[in-house]
Amino acid sequence: MNRKKMNQLVFESYSNQFLNQAKVNKIVKFLSKSDLKQYINALKLEEKKKSLIVSAPVKNQNLARFTELFPNKKIIFKIDPSLMLGIKIVDNDLVYEFTLKSSLDKIVSYMEQNYD
Amino acid sequence: MIDNDKIIQALEKKLMTFGEDVKTQNVGSVIKNTDGVVIVSGLSKARMGEKVVFKNGQTGTVLNLDEDMASIILLGEGSDIREGESLVTTGQMLGIDVSEELLGRVINPLGEPLDGKPKIKKGKAMSLEKIAAGVVDREPVNTPLKTGIKAIDSMIPIGRGQRELIIGDRQTGKTAIAIDTIINQKLNKKPVICIYVAIGQKRSTIAQVVDRLNMEGALSYTVIVSASAADPAALQYFAPYAGCAIAEYFLEKGKDVLVVYDDLTKHAWAYRQISLVLRRPAGREAYPGDVFYLHSRLLERSVKLNKENGGGSITALPLIETQANDISAYIPTNVISITDGQIYLQADLFNAGIRPAINIGQSVSRVGGAAQTPAIKSVSGRLRLELAQYNSLAAFAQFGSELDPSTQKQLDRGNRLTEILKQPQFSPLPEELEIISIYSVISELMDDIPIDSFLRFEKELHNFVKRYHPNILKALVQGEKPTEATLNQIKKAVEEFKKRFE
Repeated sequence: MNRKKMNQLVFESYSNQFLNQAKVNKIVKFLSKSDLKQYINALKLEEKKKSLIVSAPVKNQNLARFTELFPNKKIIFKIDPSLMLGIKIVDNDLVYEFTLKSSLDKIVSYMEQNYD
Repeated sequence: MIDNDKIIQALEKKLMTFGEDVKTQNVGSVIKNTDGVVIVSGLSKARMGEKVVFKNGQTGTVLNLDEDMASIILLGEGSDIREGESLVTTGQMLGIDVSEELLGRVINPLGEPLDGKPKIKKGKAMSLEKIAAGVVDREPVNTPLKTGIKAIDSMIPIGRGQRELIIGDRQTGKTAIAIDTIINQKLNKKPVICIYVAIGQKRSTIAQVVDRLNMEGALSYTVIVSASAADPAALQYFAPYAGCAIAEYFLEKGKDVLVVYDDLTKHAWAYRQISLVLRRPAGREAYPGDVFYLHSRLLERSVKLNKENGGGSITALPLIETQANDISAYIPTNVISITDGQIYLQADLFNAGIRPAINIGQSVSRVGGAAQTPAIKSVSGRLRLELAQYNSLAAFAQFGSELDPSTQKQLDRGNRLTEILKQPQFSPLPEELEIISIYSVISELMDDIPIDSFLRFEKELHNFVKRYHPNILKALVQGEKPTEATLNQIKKAVEEFKKRFE
C-alpha cells in the first residue's frame, strides 16, 4: 500500500483526537500482514505527533501550564532523576533540554573539542 | 601576559553561557537499514548533507529528504544499527579538520589517522562541499607545474591551477606519472603541497605508494587520503572532496597545491552504488543523472587565485581507468570534457617498451602552453610536429616496401625522438636536463649514437654536464630562452662527451 493511502487510513481511524476502536477494527479486517505492520507503525508515529513528553527529576506541580501551552497535545509526565535539575520536553522529533545534565554534557564536549 | 588574560576571560565568558541556552535537538528513529543506507523517520529540521549521530556513536550524513522520511548514508560499519534506534542531528555539515600536522600522514576522509602515528591535533574545520572560487578571484594559468617527465613537460605542459586528466587502461602507468610528479615537487625551492587521494584501491597498493613516497623523501610535503576498497562506499564517495578541502586549507594560506585523485572511475562506481541503494533513477550505464555534476563540482574547485586573494593554486590530476582503450565510455567522456586536457596512456605502447606510454596524438593540454617557460618552449616547439609526422609515416612504413632516403631519415629521427622521450619510473628530471636531452636530439647531435644505447648516453651526458659544465645548467635554470652562446655551449659539451662515450 502506498504512503498516501496509509496516511488516509490513519486519518480516518481518529474521531475527535482519539483513536476510534470500532473504526480501527473495521480497517484491520481488510489489511494483509505487511500492511498491518505498516498501519501499526503509522499509528505509532501519529500518536507520537499528538503527544508531548515532559521529563523532570522531581514531580512537577505545574502540569496545568503545559496543558494551556499545548492544548491539542496529550501531555505525558515522566520522572527522570538523571537530569539532576531542570526540564526536558520531547515534542515529536524536537527535544528541548534545559537541564543540568545537558549543561554538564555541553562542557564535556566543549573540552573534548577544544583541548586535546 | 595580555594574551593569557584574554584566553582566561574568553573561557570564563564561555562558562557563563553553558547553562543559559536551551539545547534544542532534532531526533529521529530508524525504520530500515539496508546496504549502508538508513531510512529514518522524524528529523523534520534536518538539512541536506548534515551530519547526524546515532545512539551508538556511529555517524552518517543526510543524502535524501522526503516528506516524512530521510535517507542517511553511514560513514562506517552499520551492522549494529537496529530498527527503532534513535539518532540526532548535529547542525554541522560534513567537514574535515585540517592543519599543517596532516603533512606526511595517511588519513581517512574524516581526518582520522590510519598510519598508527600519534593523534592529529584539531585544526581548522573545512567543509567537504564548497562552491568553487568565482571568476573575479581567479587569474589565468601562468606558472608551470613541472612533472619531471620529458614527454609531458615538453609537449603536454601542465600549469598550476590546471586540471589535467590522466587516462588509460589498467597497468599502463597512470599512477606512476602522478607519483613521479609528486616526487618531482621536492626540486622546487618552495615545495608544492601534494595530496594523494586513493579511492577504492587495494590497501597493499596504497601501502606501496606511501612507502615509495617515503623512500624518495616526498612524504614530508604530502598528505595521503585513503578510502580503500574495504571502506564503505560513502567514504569512497567523500574521499576526493576531503582531499580538495585539505587543498583549500593550504590554498587559503597562499600555497600551491597539487591533488591527485586516483581514480575517479572508482569514485563514480561508489556514487552509483549509493544512488542505486537510495533508489534514485538510473541512467546510462546505471549511473544516476547527476554523475556529471559529481565530478564537475569537484574539479571546478581547482583554481589559480589572483594576487589579491593570496595567489595560491590547486592543480588537479584526476585519473580515469578505461576498459579496452575505450575513451568514449560515459565517465571518460564526462571527465575529458570537464578537464583542461588529457594525457592518454596506451597499453600497446607500454608493451612496446615506450614508457611512459603516452599517446602524443590523443594527448593535449589546453591551457598549459601559456605556463611553459620560454626555455623549454624553444626546444619543444618542433618536437610535437616531428613526432606527428613520424607517426603517420610509421603507419605506412609497416607495409615493408622500399623507402626513399628522405623518408628513411625522417623515420630514423622519429625513432630517436621516441627513444629520448622514454624515461624510467621514479626518476623525474629537472627542466634544465630535459632541455639538454631534447635539444641534443632535435639539433641532430645524437644522430650517430646507436639507438639502443640512447638512454645510457643520456644519463651519462647529464652527469658529465653536471660535473664539467655547471654554467650551462645555471643559464638554463633561469627559464629564459637559451641564448646562442648557451646553445653553442651545449653543442660543445655533447661533442666533447661523445668522444669519451663508449
